[in-house]
Amino acid sequence: MRTKTLRILMASLIMGLAYIGNTSAQCDSIARICADNVTADYISDGQSYRALLNGDQVAEFRATFYGGSTYRIAGCSGFTDGNLIFEIYDEDHNQLFASSDYKNTPYWDFEFGSTVDCTIEAKLNLNNVKSGCAAMVIGFKQ
Amino acid sequence: MTKSYFSNKWIGFSGALAFAAIFMVGCVSDVKKDDGGGDENAAAVDSSTTKLMSIGGSMFSIPSPIQTAMLIEKSGSDYNKQFLNDAKRVTTYATNYQKALNLGVYGADVGYVTIYDQSQDAIKYMGVINKLTDELGITGAFDESTIKRFENNFGKRDSMLNLVAVAYRNADAFLKDNDRMNVGALVLAGGWIETLYFTTQIAVKDGNQDVINRIGEQKYTLNNIVKMLTPYYNQPEYDVLVDELIELAYDFDAIDIQYTYEKPQVDIANKTTKINSRTDVVITPEHLQAIADKVKTIRNKIVGQQ
Repeated sequence: MRTKTLRILMASLIMGLAYIGNTSAQCDSIARICADNVTADYISDGQSYRALLNGDQVAEFRATFYGGSTYRIAGCSGFTDGNLIFEIYDEDHNQLFASSDYKNTPYWDFEFGSTVDCTIEAKLNLNNVKSGCAAMVIGFKQ
Repeated sequence: MTKSYFSNKWIGFSGALAFAAIFMVGCVSDVKKDDGGGDENAAAVDSSTTKLMSIGGSMFSIPSPIQTAMLIEKSGSDYNKQFLNDAKRVTTYATNYQKALNLGVYGADVGYVTIYDQSQDAIKYMGVINKLTDELGITGAFDESTIKRFENNFGKRDSMLNLVAVAYRNADAFLKDNDRMNVGALVLAGGWIETLYFTTQIAVKDGNQDVINRIGEQKYTLNNIVKMLTPYYNQPEYDVLVDELIELAYDFDAIDIQYTYEKPQVDIANKTTKINSRTDVVITPEHLQAIADKVKTIRNKIVGQQ
């Protein structure tokens, strides 16, 4: 009995660690592919944004975009375009952008005339994927 | 007797590991559901999340120190080495807490010196950053080849800045992948504090309105930094830093920020949206001085400057 319990626990441990390892590796690959959307004329903001999403879950992150800058925001999940939908809201929750309005474009540019505090929400395009790693990349130019 | 003790201990250890693994896997999908109603709280990510998920309910994007350094250069302010952390101090940072914060500090400094085309200083700071990433066990971000590529791009300012920024992004990814988000948060906080330090010093000296406004806009980012660090409040040294930042936030509360929404304009052909909303900042000279003084105290403590 004890041996059987131990085996189950060990199997769970191995599967769990393997899952986590695979997820990290998958996220790394997706983030690298996503970064290709942010071309050399944009400077990276120096951060890596990732979330593991399942079904209709939504990942949220807060960002301040400076006036006088143009930003490129790229969002990806999986290895093909259009798997991630991202939306940008201002501090009063006015929608400033939704990638779903533009065929789930994997990237878009934003010219900020003035500094704006924003929330970015990212969710899976359930027509294409049911779960996976969501990666976002931000670059800027002035 | 010994065998029995070992078996029980082993089972307990295995069980704990298995439980931890199951718990971690279970948490991977621990994100709130989208109710489709556009409710802000409903869209938030649950705080009990894994290394791949958000921090304290949201992920935080801390603006790049490079952007503010660019604004300073554009304002006409002269290069001033006195505002930067001395590279020689790197040997005095003993704990991971100090190393992580100063990795952020030196990242902001290398951005500043690169923008002012101070190549020799930039190389010196890159060496210091390489040392700190090594000591923190961050692999795949800064190494000899990064420094070599940096040197090979002398004269191409944006390429040099991007090399540094991508290296910091790789370090950030490494820390998140390895469940060391507390270290990542310190790196971001250190970079932000150093940038705010030299920005406030320059603003007090030069009085440039664009630079002063940029300081006022840090009210948003300061709130995000505090939220980002708060989950680690019970760890040694973090509590003091968070308390100091909360004290600083009281000074920022005196800054008046008015936000006005304007409808964005879309240029589909160029995949561009122009954001027309406005944020107006009002900050008095007294408040600016108070913030500058407090930031200087926090920053000097971090870098170990008397």
